[in-house]
Amino acid sequence: MKIARLIVLSAALAAVSCAAHAQGKPAPKDAVLYFVWPQDGTTIRGGFWCRFGLRNMGVTHAGDDFQNSGHHHLLIDVNEPLDPNEPIPQDKSHLHFGAGQTETRIELPPGKHTLQLVLGDAKHYPFIPPIVSDKITIRIR
Amino acid sequence: MGEIRKLKSSRSGDPPRESTPRRLAAIVAGDIAGYSRLMQIDEEGTHLRVKRIERDLIEPSIVGHHGRLVKTTGDGFIAIFDSPVEAVRCAIVIQQNMVGRNASMPKHHWIEYRIGVNLGDVIIEADDVFGDGVNIATRLEGIADPGQVYISGGIYEQIKHKLVCGYESLGDRKVKNITDPVRVYRVLPDPAAFNRTRKRRENILIFLLSLFLLVIASGVLWYVFWQPHGKVGGQASAPVSPEIPKVLSSPPPTVKQAAPQTQPAPSVAPAVKQGASQPQLASPAKPATQLSSAVREPEMYMLRGGSFTMGSNDDVTEKPPHQVTIKPFAISEYPITVREWNECAAAKACAFVATGKDDAPITNVSWSDAKQFVAWLAGATRRAYRLPSEAEWEYAARGGTQTKYWWGDQFLSGMANCKNCTDIAAAEQPIKVGSFRPNPFGLYDMGGGVDQWVEDCWHKNYQGAPSDGSAWVEGDCASHVIRSGSWKNDALYARPANRDSYDTNVRYQTHGMRVALSP
Repeated sequence: MKIARLIVLSAALAAVSCAAHAQGKPAPKDAVLYFVWPQDGTTIRGGFWCRFGLRNMGVTHAGDDFQNSGHHHLLIDVNEPLDPNEPIPQDKSHLHFGAGQTETRIELPPGKHTLQLVLGDAKHYPFIPPIVSDKITIRIR
Repeated sequence: MGEIRKLKSSRSGDPPRESTPRRLAAIVAGDIAGYSRLMQIDEEGTHLRVKRIERDLIEPSIVGHHGRLVKTTGDGFIAIFDSPVEAVRCAIVIQQNMVGRNASMPKHHWIEYRIGVNLGDVIIEADDVFGDGVNIATRLEGIADPGQVYISGGIYEQIKHKLVCGYESLGDRKVKNITDPVRVYRVLPDPAAFNRTRKRRENILIFLLSLFLLVIASGVLWYVFWQPHGKVGGQASAPVSPEIPKVLSSPPPTVKQAAPQTQPAPSVAPAVKQGASQPQLASPAKPATQLSSAVREPEMYMLRGGSFTMGSNDDVTEKPPHQVTIKPFAISEYPITVREWNECAAAKACAFVATGKDDAPITNVSWSDAKQFVAWLAGATRRAYRLPSEAEWEYAARGGTQTKYWWGDQFLSGMANCKNCTDIAAAEQPIKVGSFRPNPFGLYDMGGGVDQWVEDCWHKNYQGAPSDGSAWVEGDCASHVIRSGSWKNDALYARPANRDSYDTNVRYQTHGMRVALSP
């Protein structure tokens, strides 16, 4: 039992130290992430194509570790602040585009919604400093 | 009329006699080891934590196992159960959950329960229970080591063939104020623990034996060197013989030829559930005795086929609820572990090499990685291993229920490894497979823990879904379905109906898998 506890403890310590190291990669200062469509304040009927724009950086497949490139994540109605030291979460409000997609078909229930883009590195961590778009608000009729 | 009145009066006369009813019951007594020491360190904190454990873990576990909490004392509790099996299961659940809760704490803050279980004829009152049987349970609890469950011989006789655990006999013990000695057994929740204790004893034996043989061998060597024509046989036997007890006493390595088979290890109770066999957690003797060609197969549970309603109205992706018929199939009892995965990686059949604890679930694998694993497993074992279909997964996860969660419509803490559902520290995640209660089919981690890939391509709802339980593979296969939700998702994701998608070739740190097998 004692040995097992020691192993657990050391594994925990190792994990903590890994987590401390596994932070995002540096990003160019002039990188800009933005929505091509829709724009802030748009009113939309039904489903729509959401298109992502990125300047001064490249889009690549998740897992590919190239300099100055990453992949898109779309945050829908997310209010919690982004944790720069954790991988971008994966759930129904954090959509991943790890295959290098730059657009997606979105269907949302009627009402106000916020959209925001976050660029992730090969391991889904935000860059340093985080490359995020403005948070836009749209209305679905 | 007179007769009827008489009957009535005799019935109404009954309750006073029933005020001290006797009943045969399994009594579970638990208390916290070193409670006064904990109170001395941090009185308020300890009190709060104990209350919280009672509320979140002990009470729901007792209710969940059809027992009744009779009373709580400052540092302990007494509960009664109709079924000894349920009583011991409940005790094991409490102990296993406490390990998880303590893991994030420094050792001197650990709250550890000692639990004793006894079967006895007792007097039950509304808020207390009396009798020899209770006293013996509390005495057993008193001699138990922290974190352990001790049971009496009476309980052991009832459960030995019904509960898949190891039991270590501690012999007859004389306990305070009880005339006859009590036969005591220690419960080893998983057979791996049983192997460990046995291994420890074995090691001591082997050590002594080797020492003995070493002495003989050196004697023989001395004899050979000084007498050139001496016997050589002694030399050869010296290094070999210490291995013999090791090989003989290790559990047989090839027990998993067929899914519905039980492990014939001595004094480990055989499983009663169909297809149940022993978990393979951290059995140190295994690699030494395993044939190099044999592949460690996952623990598989054979499920009978049946019809069920797949989906729900809780989320647009889960609509419409529809009837699906499932053919018999087997599914792994746990998610695939790092150890199991790395056998594939070692065989160069899986491109992804996992790091992390051996008994943690595999994570950070893509759907394509998962397919590599099942292809390798099927090839190495010549059996039809594959990913489960989405319908099979949900059928297995529901465990015969149609409620929101497999345990009911309300979320209960401590039932699944999800965000804000447990006390497990982030650094400990993903915690080892099988740390939470199994569902009614005996499957662990079906909901929470790690997301699990299934065979199906992603479809945004069930319009046009097959109803024969097969995988739905037509359409856009750039993304596949993940099930179960992970430790990073909230409780709603742990629902059996919950579904989500992810890019086929992309790895993410909460995505793992389990395997299925066609009969």
